[in-house]
Amino acid sequence: MNRIKLLFFATIRDRAGTKSMELDVPEDLTVQGLKDKIATDFPNLKDSMKSVLITINREYAFDEAVIPQDAEMAMFPPVSGG
Amino acid sequence: MGAPTIFSITEDEIDLNDLLAQITLTSTGAAAIFTGMVRGETKRGDAHETEYLEYEAYVPMAEAKMKQVADEIRAKWDVIEGIAIVQRIGKLYPKTPTVLIACTAAHRDTGVFEAARYGIDRLKEIVPIWKKEITPDGQNWVEGDYTPKAGE
Repeated sequence: MNRIKLLFFATIRDRAGTKSMELDVPEDLTVQGLKDKIATDFPNLKDSMKSVLITINREYAFDEAVIPQDAEMAMFPPVSGG
Repeated sequence: MGAPTIFSITEDEIDLNDLLAQITLTSTGAAAIFTGMVRGETKRGDAHETEYLEYEAYVPMAEAKMKQVADEIRAKWDVIEGIAIVQRIGKLYPKTPTVLIACTAAHRDTGVFEAARYGIDRLKEIVPIWKKEITPDGQNWVEGDYTPKAGE
């Protein structure tokens, strides 16, 4: 298993009810696999997984990407700074 | 000494004069500055009032992406000398400056206006910052509409 840190921001944080969590995931899990796992484990977040942005080690990551060891990941909605 | 590049997420007041001084060199004769502030009364589109905005950021990634925006500006306009990109976060009330993008160059006809415009547009696309709007009727997160692509 691979232990990752997962951070939540904005709407996703509100729905998750927490700013971050640590998760043990299979070694070859992809970003899409993580979205599926979160949608199953956290029903509140199921709808959010459709348009969520995901980062791995502070870079945007896409569905096919395999999650590396000890990754710092984040999930958040499209950004709205300025 | 290389050209000054300032990028930060801060909870403090944005000090325009200080930032401008930091990106002013003996070779610069022009600065284009964009600053945004909290709008209390919105008339365009869905007209409404705003009591305040509450900003948050994924700070280490936001600062890295601001640096990336500065790098992109330099790749597009190699005449740009200094660049400052600052976003204030926390609870911010109407008329309060929230963001500043400033670019300096030797002359005004070098693309310096376009460079500052590009900076604020890119910040709104790829820098992980969000704001929650609090109105007399309630609150809601403002969501952007841009999905970053691979390599952004």
